[in-house]
Amino acid sequence: MSTVLRVEGLRKTFGTLEALRGIDFEVRAGEVFALIGPNGAGKTTALRICATLLTITDGKVTFLNHDLRKDPDKVRERISYLPEEAGAYKNMKGLDYLKFMANFYARTGEEEKEFVDRAVRITGLGDRLQTKVGTFSKGMTRKILLARALMTKPVLAILDEPTSGLDVLNGLEVREMIRRYVREGTSVLLSSHNMLEIEFLSDRVSLIDHGRILDSGTPQGLKDKYHASNLEEVFRSAVQ
Amino acid sequence: MKRFMNLLRKEIRELVTAQLILSLLFMVVLFNFIGRTSRKEVERAMAEQTIAVLDLDGSASSQGIVKGLESANFKIEPMAGKPKEEAVEAAGKSEAKLLLVIPSGFGDSLRGLEPREVETYSYMRSFSLIGTRSQIIVRSVISALNDIASDSFLREKLPDYDPDGLKNPIRARDFVIVKDRMAEGSPNMVAGLMSSQSMLIPIVLMMIVIYSSQMVISAVAMEKQNKTLETLLTVPIRRTSIITAKMLSAGLVGLISAFVYMAGFRSFMGGMGTDEIQAVAGRPGADIMRQLGLYFDTTGYLILGAAMFLAILTALSMAMILGVLAEDFRSAQNMIMPLVLMVMVPYFISLFADMATLSLPVKIFILAIPFSHPFLVSQNLYLGNYGMIFGGLAYMLVVFIVLVGFAARVFSSDKILTMKLRFGKKKSAAA
Repeated sequence: MSTVLRVEGLRKTFGTLEALRGIDFEVRAGEVFALIGPNGAGKTTALRICATLLTITDGKVTFLNHDLRKDPDKVRERISYLPEEAGAYKNMKGLDYLKFMANFYARTGEEEKEFVDRAVRITGLGDRLQTKVGTFSKGMTRKILLARALMTKPVLAILDEPTSGLDVLNGLEVREMIRRYVREGTSVLLSSHNMLEIEFLSDRVSLIDHGRILDSGTPQGLKDKYHASNLEEVFRSAVQ
Repeated sequence: MKRFMNLLRKEIRELVTAQLILSLLFMVVLFNFIGRTSRKEVERAMAEQTIAVLDLDGSASSQGIVKGLESANFKIEPMAGKPKEEAVEAAGKSEAKLLLVIPSGFGDSLRGLEPREVETYSYMRSFSLIGTRSQIIVRSVISALNDIASDSFLREKLPDYDPDGLKNPIRARDFVIVKDRMAEGSPNMVAGLMSSQSMLIPIVLMMIVIYSSQMVISAVAMEKQNKTLETLLTVPIRRTSIITAKMLSAGLVGLISAFVYMAGFRSFMGGMGTDEIQAVAGRPGADIMRQLGLYFDTTGYLILGAAMFLAILTALSMAMILGVLAEDFRSAQNMIMPLVLMVMVPYFISLFADMATLSLPVKIFILAIPFSHPFLVSQNLYLGNYGMIFGGLAYMLVVFIVLVGFAARVFSSDKILTMKLRFGKKKSAAA
């Protein structure tokens, strides 16, 4: 399996606060890689750096041979990022929002239509897409945002708490959607508090705490290593 | 370019909301309504008005006053034969706005050169300025009659002399010199014409700057509040394009909004009679202004346009940085204050103070505010101070480049997400 994203010795400081203390991980082609950790562990900071939102204090992040420091614009062409607390333009109709976002990635009108059609299928919102985003429920907004992130079939989708705020059924639907796109070739880097979600979705995980990677491996491999029945127990053992 | 246009369209759509269109329409309709109402009032005041006259004298002189009023477009309602109290009451019930009482013995007093009072009773049925106009005209008629009476006396007593020469032995012939040009006229008139000629420039500039800046700050703050900024910053478009699209859209919408407001304002001012006053004052003054070189040629307009354009760009780039500091739409309302002050200070100074007479520290302070320069351009153009003009333009260009560079750096760094000013948060947290 080739490597899509490689993170080496990544450090990030905000003034005197050291959010990441030299972390290493890689995301391979066609896999779901997850960062697990408590609040303030550095998950979102790592994801934001990989999404070119934050700058690198020290270390190196490479995406398909592009150095993130040097070629952020090229990286943005091939990735998509879904922030934990994301919103869409409330005055736009759902369909217009998808068209607006697709226009940034599509090279032709046909490709744009292809992206939008795919997004419409992903959302499953049908005629509701003709109404303004401001009238959408939280679940509907999250679906349209996920559709936006996946419609271009990016090489790497960076998803921060993708099912955040969704009810059980919508969460399940979103997880199945992510798995389907991974099967079609998209790699995923995600973070979540939901250990069940991580076990269901992830091929490999890294445990992160206080800006450091504690351990990495497949969910089953980690459970075996720490003699744990689930990832929560794995994390507790790794911290101790 | 395709991506930039996509973003620009979105920015314009975000700004041109139904609320904006409605508020603009409302303002235009409101200004227009006030203007029309005022115009009607002015027309009514200028039209023939009724004045009640109680002539208790009945002499040739008192008849002269009445005739003078008639020739000044007043309709006279005689109150002959009534006692004063009854006349006051009767005039109050009629359409008359004023009752003029000419006392008995008025003509004899005039002939004997004894001052004699006429009484005027004004019926203030409204408190508008226009309502008092009738009395102003009566006073000017009485002043003219005073002249006539004194002239006839002087002619009778000193037939060899010109009464006007006797009453006004010293006369002034006024000349105004601006730089190396001279024209006959009063400096008051020139100053009045100058201010009416260039009154709209600072108002238009102030409105465009405040409007556009408010829009940029709000646009950035709304991206933060609606949590759309992070997504926007990860799509494949250059950060400088994001800044440019936001500035350009706000500039365009601000420009259109300001002109719509100005159209409404113009209609409002037209109703107040400014147009008529300008038309009357402008005709004799136009030649003097031309002789003094106090008019804009094509180059002058180009320089003025360049100054306004640079001021707008500077304001927009400043607003972009202030928008980054705003946490949400509400705090964006506070962020506009420094910019508004930076525009208001030079505006009022250009209205009420003379830059040349200000102390050096105050002068430096004023000139350090980039928005002072467009306010000073028209005056400097008239006076031919090209050094000040081009120095000001260069200064604004430098400030704009520095601010845009800083905004681009902010947008390309973590500061776009981390830099913020919180208003009142500490207080509420403590509570």
